Amino acid sequence: MSNIKPIADLSYRNYDGPLKKPGSRWWVIAKNGIRIALKKKALWGLMFVSAWYYLVMLVVLFFVQQITSSNPAGAQAMKAFMERLVWPDQFLHGFSYAQLPMLIIALMLGAGSIANDNRANAMLVYLSKPCDKREYLFGKWIGIALPILVIMVVPTIIFYAYGALTFREYGFLKDAWLLPKMLVIIPIAAIFHASIVVGISSMFNQARNASATYAGIYFITNFFTLLMGGIWASSRGETPFPVKHLFYASIDGVLIGACKAIIGTKGSAPFGIQSQGGMSQVPAPAVVPILGVALLISVVFVLIAWRKIRAVEVIG
Amino acid sequence: MAHENSSGVLSYARLVTVARISNLTVRYGNFTALDDLSCEIPEGCTGLLGPNGAGKTTLLKTILGFVNPTSGEGTVMDKDIRTDGMAIRQLIGLMPEQDCHIPGMTAVGFVSYAGELSGMPPAEALRRAHEVLEYCGLGEARYRNVETYSTGMKQRIKLAQALVHGPKLLLLDEPTNGLDPRGREEMLDLVRSVSHGRGVNVIVSSHLLPDIERVCDRVIVVIKGKLRTAGTIKDLKKLAGQPADVELREPNVAFANMLMEKGLTVTPPKGNIYRVQSELPPEELLRVVQRTALESGAQVRGFETAVRTLEEVFLEALTA
Repeated sequence: MSNIKPIADLSYRNYDGPLKKPGSRWWVIAKNGIRIALKKKALWGLMFVSAWYYLVMLVVLFFVQQITSSNPAGAQAMKAFMERLVWPDQFLHGFSYAQLPMLIIALMLGAGSIANDNRANAMLVYLSKPCDKREYLFGKWIGIALPILVIMVVPTIIFYAYGALTFREYGFLKDAWLLPKMLVIIPIAAIFHASIVVGISSMFNQARNASATYAGIYFITNFFTLLMGGIWASSRGETPFPVKHLFYASIDGVLIGACKAIIGTKGSAPFGIQSQGGMSQVPAPAVVPILGVALLISVVFVLIAWRKIRAVEVIG
Repeated sequence: MAHENSSGVLSYARLVTVARISNLTVRYGNFTALDDLSCEIPEGCTGLLGPNGAGKTTLLKTILGFVNPTSGEGTVMDKDIRTDGMAIRQLIGLMPEQDCHIPGMTAVGFVSYAGELSGMPPAEALRRAHEVLEYCGLGEARYRNVETYSTGMKQRIKLAQALVHGPKLLLLDEPTNGLDPRGREEMLDLVRSVSHGRGVNVIVSSHLLPDIERVCDRVIVVIKGKLRTAGTIKDLKKLAGQPADVELREPNVAFANMLMEKGLTVTPPKGNIYRVQSELPPEELLRVVQRTALESGAQVRGFETAVRTLEEVFLEALTA
């Protein structure tokens, strides 16, 4: 049996087909990152979890509308409910409550993106092809930022469309720039998460170490934010000096602060609940400084990744 | 046959030059990895020989554009190593020394991804990945995750990803590292078959002389970052004066003495083999040996032009 030769010609044949010019390898890398991510079932679950506030609000608004439309006596109650609802704040809450799932999604997509390549010496494979460090890093970055962007944008647009079609008479379209403003802050969040996770991932050769580091930074800084929020809440609206500046000094804080500043709200209690002095109502920071901080943090982490990515270790 | 051209660079007559390196110096801080190295690498299969730390891998990395040379210049297929790194990498396939793969991928996924990274359209890359994996002997294991592969299979997949886009020049860094004897034989067979008659030029970097001798036609010996010698293996193994090894049925002192009386130089025998040297051409020398054997009653079992082993060539270069 060992003498049986295959019928097919298995000898080496040259490839003389088309080869694309260098310059578009980042998309090959990004596409591969997205393809691997989409195979993870947990990601699909987290997509719904990240939109939970919008989903709950959609259900609440739908039932409120149905019940009150079939019961004229309820019209007054609906009017009161709608008056309590601050529409931009619903987007703020949708955005804010998505941040923790976004952290998990960012870790799922990005913690191993460069760390696993470091472990498997994959950099030698990438950089020995007509693909340079810039394309590699950009591809990895896009492969994380793009899914985060889509996951955040879709529920926002669905909620906006539902509101715009149904609640115009309740002031939903009062701010005509609300959707464009959201479409500005969501990419900022995607860029922010992608940059940090890429930077952290490049520092390790185990995805779990990168995950632990980013999660550690996230929760430690968030604890700090909670502490500041607690001080603010206990001061009953009088903004103490450190709170004003430090409430937003966390991963969530930077993004929520930027969201508040861009959509121009100081926040209110979620689901239209009547409440005063909650943590969600800490005044918005100024737009330029908070965006500057977000940009600076993103750039720093991308630069870390840039320095860490090497085809060969050169001992100087 | 290698000869020095006017600029002192070793070059080969009648062969197309694949890579040309001139006065290349690469320094890592205070350490000089390549020291004013000049050579030409012709088409075919060339071995890059040198002890560990000689600068072989640095030379390959410089050719690939991973390392910026401190001084000097070089071209690979007429493309400048300083400025055309991307174009060079599109023409080159690298099989690195270390284990390397893209985590979480099957073999076919990995190789087709490597093809796409090299610029192949996705459908072509997938088709070619299947073809190359079959060629490298991984056809049966192509849907397995690469991380579950044995060392031998990992070596093969590294070769497959280097070959997928049909490179014109293949750089193999220690291709038989960690392989068992059978795996080593199979890998060398693959390298030999791809480098002979398939239009793929190969540079094999290794410190294993038998591997180089098995697959390469030419060698470049690099020691401490300097070029020590270069040429075809056949030429390098030739001894000065073209001595001959004469094998007798049994040692015969009279035979040796009679040869020396005829003005030939005879070195003390190694077993039954006498090394005979003279100014005579090989055909004439053979006649003298036959005559002397007849006169001395020695029975000649073999006569061949004496050559050095590649190991001797290497050791000579090392101690020069």
